[in-house]
Amino acid sequence: MSNSAKTSASTLCCVLAVAFTGLVMTTGCGTATESPAVASSSVPNIDASQYRLEEEPEGAVGVIAARESAEDGTPIVLVGRVGGTARPWVDGRAAFTMLDASMSVVAEGEDSDEEGELCTGDCCALERQSCTTLVKVVDSQGKLVPMDSRELLGLKESDMVVVQGIAKKDKTGNFVMLAKGVFIRK
Amino acid sequence: MLGQKLLPWDYGVRNLFRRPSRSALTLGGLTIVVLLVLVVVGFIRGLEKSLAATGNPNVVLVYALSSGADIENSSIPGRTPSLLSASVDGVRRQHGVEYVSPELYLATRITASGMSEPGMGLVRGVTTTTPLVRDKVQLTEGTWPQSGEVMVGRLAHSKLGAKEDDLAVGQQVSFDGQTWTISGSFTAAGSAFESEIWAPLADLQTALKRQDLSMVAVAMDSPDGVADVDLFCRERIDLELKAVSESGYYASLQKHYKPVRMLGWVVVALVAGSGIFAGLNTMYGAVVGRVRELATLQALGFRRRAILLTLVQEATLLACAGAIVACVAGLLLVDGTAVRFTMGAFMLSVDSVGIAVACGVAALLGVVGALPPAVKAMRLPVVEAIKSI
Repeated sequence: MSNSAKTSASTLCCVLAVAFTGLVMTTGCGTATESPAVASSSVPNIDASQYRLEEEPEGAVGVIAARESAEDGTPIVLVGRVGGTARPWVDGRAAFTMLDASMSVVAEGEDSDEEGELCTGDCCALERQSCTTLVKVVDSQGKLVPMDSRELLGLKESDMVVVQGIAKKDKTGNFVMLAKGVFIRK
Repeated sequence: MLGQKLLPWDYGVRNLFRRPSRSALTLGGLTIVVLLVLVVVGFIRGLEKSLAATGNPNVVLVYALSSGADIENSSIPGRTPSLLSASVDGVRRQHGVEYVSPELYLATRITASGMSEPGMGLVRGVTTTTPLVRDKVQLTEGTWPQSGEVMVGRLAHSKLGAKEDDLAVGQQVSFDGQTWTISGSFTAAGSAFESEIWAPLADLQTALKRQDLSMVAVAMDSPDGVADVDLFCRERIDLELKAVSESGYYASLQKHYKPVRMLGWVVVALVAGSGIFAGLNTMYGAVVGRVRELATLQALGFRRRAILLTLVQEATLLACAGAIVACVAGLLLVDGTAVRFTMGAFMLSVDSVGIAVACGVAALLGVVGALPPAVKAMRLPVVEAIKSI
């Protein structure tokens, strides 16, 4: 009686152990979920301070005004907010979208009764283009800095920034700001 | 110390065969519960796999800014592929061929030879560069479509609501006023492409009287290159383009289907819960009929916890047997079954996760279902229990 009882206890333990191992193994054999691509896995050695302005440059104009009046290749100072799209950042690049200070953009689906308010949805995509511009932070050779602007400049969404640089404009109405320095208004 | 007072393992096993009809009925009930769990988990896993398999982090999709997330509504100029490859660095090239795939994508009514009513299907206009970008696509039968021909994904019949034979190589399908001969069939590692019909881009443009494209899929040298295409689209606002990494696009669709998946898990919980209640009911019946026997065992000197353990053992054995039967039935009958949904079709997947969940539910049914009635029976005084009828 004692032997069979011992056998029964050990067999039960074995069965439970096998079942548990099976569960762990079947779960373990599952396909791992692919992790999303990391925006910038390797941070290049860049002196970020040369792109941050200590003092606010004078003579800043808004994005809408600059779109109309700026000429290609001329120096310009632009003021506006980081934003204008659901995602103003370009991953791993020192580039962001800037919105005219007179405009505001609300989340998709929210009511935008006020004048000068657009939503981040695709319905307002074309309207948003007329009051936003792409800012590309470039080095002394005019090349785009290969570092995320959030890391490089410590920018956050909706930050009011004053950007100093060169206007790049073509005949089809594309306007891009090639920034040499960025000042963040506190 | 515990072992000295345990009942023999064989005792519990023999008890199951002593009442074969009751055991068979309980086994049947448990099997159905576990099979239901397996089907629901298979649905969730199949949907997840289909959307996850479609996204490639190196591939970027370029489509119209104003089309929302719906590529079917997108219309971009036909010159976009050449503009992209000329303007953006990092586009994958091999032997002088650029990995840029111009595509026309639409949902349209399609009639196959054996169908009385046309079904809603997905058609993609492709070129010979498409398989370079969509590298999971494999031609499994027949040949690449020439003029007037199409090739079909292995789940296209399911999306159309047709029989598999209706879309066999050599058969014909009709859509947009033209009849197309099926030249081949393809698989795409379980991705959403498998529910599509692919036609030569030029032919499809002619049939639809369109010169534009729905989108351009570009394979980059690395996932980092996606940012350069994004930058190009933001810079050239006159083109009104939008760039999204393919994995990001399908990840957003995963988010879109999250409520469906959540509902699936709720169904799993409800089915498991109802299974536990059914198990409880059965076990109460089984234990009530054995009160005298259990009291006799106590009178012989077996401790209550030893008797309780043997009752749990019986129920767990039955539940595990039910799990095995359900898993075998699931693998044979459920795994690979095509299910139609808005994005196309996908296959139910009985994989390791599904089997693990099913076995877990079965173990839970066995242990939790047996404990309350066993505890109740053990509370009766021995003398009273022996006298009970």
